[in-house]
Amino acid sequence: MTQILGSKELMAQVRNKDLCTACGGCVGLCPYHKAYKGKIAMTFDCDMAEGRCYAHCPKTETDFEALSQRLFESEYKGTPLGTYRRITAAKAGPKMAGDRFQNGGTVSALMTLALENSLIDAAVLTGKDGIVPEPKIVTEAADVVKCASTKYMAAPTVACLNEGAGQGYTNMGIVGTPCQLTAVAQMRLNPLNKADFKDITALTVGIFCTWALDTRKFLDFLKQRVDTQKITSMDVPPPPAEIFVVKTADETIEIPLDEIRAMVPNGCSICPDMTAEWSDLSVGAFEGKPGWNVLVVRTEKGGKLVDQAVEAGYLVLDDFPEESLQHLNLGAGNKKKRAQENAERMDS
Amino acid sequence: MTILTQKEKGARHLLMGNEAIARGALEAGVAVAAGYPGTPSSEIIENLAKVSDEANLYVEWSINEKVAMEVAAAASFAELRSICVLKQNGLNVASDFLLHLAGSGTRGGMLVIACDDPGALSSINEGDTRHFARLLEIPLLEPGDFQEAKDMTKWAFELSEMMQNVVMVRSVTRLSHASGNVVFGELPEVEKKARFRHEGFFLDPNEGVVTSSPVFYKHELQQKKLAKAVEAFEDSPFNTYSGPENPEVLIITSSACNLYSREAIHILEAKDRVGLLKLGTTWPLPPKLLEKYLSKTDKILIVEEVIPFLEENVKILAMELAPKIGIKTFYAKRDGSIPAFNEMNPDLVINPLAKILGIDYEAMPAEYVAQSQDFTTTGAPARDLTFCPGCPHRASFWSINHVLKLDNNQGFVCGDIGCYSMAMLPTGFSTAKTMHAMGSGTGVASGFGKLGKFGMEQPAVAVCGDSTFFHAVIPALANAVHHKSDITLIVLDNSGTAMTGFQPHPGLKVDAQGKEALDLDIQAICESMGAKVDISDPFEFEQTQQKLFDLLELKDGVKVLILRQICALSPEKKGKKKYEMAIDETACMGENCGCNRLCTRILRCPGLIWDKEKNTSKIDEAICAGCGVCASVCPEGAISRKEVA
Repeated sequence: MTQILGSKELMAQVRNKDLCTACGGCVGLCPYHKAYKGKIAMTFDCDMAEGRCYAHCPKTETDFEALSQRLFESEYKGTPLGTYRRITAAKAGPKMAGDRFQNGGTVSALMTLALENSLIDAAVLTGKDGIVPEPKIVTEAADVVKCASTKYMAAPTVACLNEGAGQGYTNMGIVGTPCQLTAVAQMRLNPLNKADFKDITALTVGIFCTWALDTRKFLDFLKQRVDTQKITSMDVPPPPAEIFVVKTADETIEIPLDEIRAMVPNGCSICPDMTAEWSDLSVGAFEGKPGWNVLVVRTEKGGKLVDQAVEAGYLVLDDFPEESLQHLNLGAGNKKKRAQENAERMDS
Repeated sequence: MTILTQKEKGARHLLMGNEAIARGALEAGVAVAAGYPGTPSSEIIENLAKVSDEANLYVEWSINEKVAMEVAAAASFAELRSICVLKQNGLNVASDFLLHLAGSGTRGGMLVIACDDPGALSSINEGDTRHFARLLEIPLLEPGDFQEAKDMTKWAFELSEMMQNVVMVRSVTRLSHASGNVVFGELPEVEKKARFRHEGFFLDPNEGVVTSSPVFYKHELQQKKLAKAVEAFEDSPFNTYSGPENPEVLIITSSACNLYSREAIHILEAKDRVGLLKLGTTWPLPPKLLEKYLSKTDKILIVEEVIPFLEENVKILAMELAPKIGIKTFYAKRDGSIPAFNEMNPDLVINPLAKILGIDYEAMPAEYVAQSQDFTTTGAPARDLTFCPGCPHRASFWSINHVLKLDNNQGFVCGDIGCYSMAMLPTGFSTAKTMHAMGSGTGVASGFGKLGKFGMEQPAVAVCGDSTFFHAVIPALANAVHHKSDITLIVLDNSGTAMTGFQPHPGLKVDAQGKEALDLDIQAICESMGAKVDISDPFEFEQTQQKLFDLLELKDGVKVLILRQICALSPEKKGKKKYEMAIDETACMGENCGCNRLCTRILRCPGLIWDKEKNTSKIDEAICAGCGVCASVCPEGAISRKEVA
């Protein structure tokens, strides 16, 4: 087991080193750690020797073996894509017709169904206030699609799961990035062995992520170029484009990706997880097949939901070619390698 | 009817030093008294205000000390007797006008009463006002006991009129705030008729123009007047000597140190060996008097508080007199015999005196010091300075800290002078990071707000109380607005000069004498200057924090947030609980992850107690002021409040 420490150490090891990716794992648990405009801050000093804040944080030492045993009942092997049962191509099915999606709409379809068939009583999603990501608890299936599309900015989504426990939800679903779902997985370990602990997480859907942007830096950056109120969409076209595209009703702005990457939080550089390994299902863009997603089924529960979704017309599946799998493996493996190198550089 | 207006001559009363000074002014027939509240000086104006109708006075709490001095000076120009009362740093504020007043001269007797605070018991400085007498070339009187506090004040008016200039009387905390016997003198029935004569020859001191120009002429005149004061000092009854004809050591002292010196001589049983020259007229020193006493012995111990003022002046005279009186050995601050900081006490006199006399006496044996330190660290619970239960400042700084931390740009508070100065301490969540003079929080913030050019992105927030706002913040605020300095000023408006005892200020509908006054509107003043202003009740956390967030968002200019909630100790509110508070002990999370005693460890209102046995918080009914704030703080909703019917 890794050693669990407190807020002071969390500040010293993560936040003061600018490694926080604002996942929200430490937020909503206590009056000390709070999120504001994409950043997490500590309001007052907490002197506890052991805290959930530290235990949940994906940037403190993480016990992958314990997570693997808890989620998959199997040994952690450190493979690029993590533990999985199958990988397929997927997109929203006829039941979701009429909705427009950035990629395949697979995530929206899965969460809509999960709420409709009461697999979960609430979904923690990341909506938007303007273009600023805004985590929220959604209980109506019809509201799921309002939270669709990529935000590109770090958001304290896990805070909603922490808060949801206090609001009486017992089966929550969450859609999150790799760091967010690492926090959720650690939360489910009941790290402080609290007697009154209840695991209210009933479904975790991960989103592939190579990086997110520092919300404040990115907003300031955009504000200098465009009236952010008028932005209709943001997208990273597949390689070799190397651009970030911002669209408004009047114009399309292309920003070189290098300028964008300068706003990636330092914490992303030590993240070993591209495909959100600590989840029931993870979803990413299928780069070779526009309008489709890659869907990674990791748990039995995830597999069942996918089967139901196909049967009920929420989801359409297709083969994920071997060539694409190799490509995905390479990308995920490279992220792991870079993370390792960067972490070692920081330690030295 | 108070004791202060009792007519009976020769009656003996127990008076506080400040009351004795007020009585002295009444016995002198003072007509106008003005000041600005500041410990340890406040009771002088307060007591005079109480008898203002009865004794036919005009008394005011002025907006600041400079204006107080100007108000008092006007009375003098109109041939009335007047006093201006202030604490040590107040004299700094008034000193610009005072420099010019000393040059122009006065007509009706006028005194500056400066109450110093050696040891900074109620200050954040231990400024020594005595230097101003030398700097401004005006006479300085220092009472050595309570009777003198009265008698000297009365006589100072005569001196002022004799030399036609302002006279300074200096007290210290231990004299102003301690009490002693005072025998009353006559309370005169004087006609107080104000008339400003200005139609005579312009240099005429009684009927001309009142100004310090032409400077060389007036300056020389001022120095001649001062020479007259020195003559009067040579045989002043306020300079006394006690001791043998040829003492082994001569102690020269003044003010409260007179009492410490007498006690030291008594404890060492050395009254036959030590002479004590207690000076009441400490600047300029009377040379003949000094020659007489310096001639008595070769060893001189000078006992005074803070800076070596008396020491330096005595040494200058001793050097001049050396051909007549010989070479002296001085024991004072410059050789380390007496400390030049903090207040004095008998022990600090005993140590050097015993050494000079060769007496084996340790005022504070090492064993005693060690034991007392041991008791203070282990015997008594540690108690920090803290805001009172129900204090709005605790709530205000809770929100300010919250917003600055969440804003996450290393924002900070420029503190100011008032109870809220404690924002530097844990009770104010250590939000204040600078603190200097009255109004300086806003002035310093105004400067920080212009450093964006050099890469500074930290938000600068200034705080000030309502009284401080009027005293010295207005010019700083105007400066910040004019220069588009990017700052937020938070006015902690608790409806009174709370720290010094609820003296009224220009924001209130009442004046020092209890009469109706025009209340100035802080919001309207700030808005008319061009600041963006919002108001909130600091007890409403959510609203207050949202408003502060919103104001901080606005860049390039001055934002003002007025947090209005009356002081918990104000006469209107004291003892009246708005809420009955209760704690559900079963819900209290205590030391668990998720709370970690937020209310008793961070909020730390004295009305909350941590029950170590039960591991829960509880309300101390006797202390709780029923403000309801802690209910908003508890993350589990374990603290509830019920409105008192």
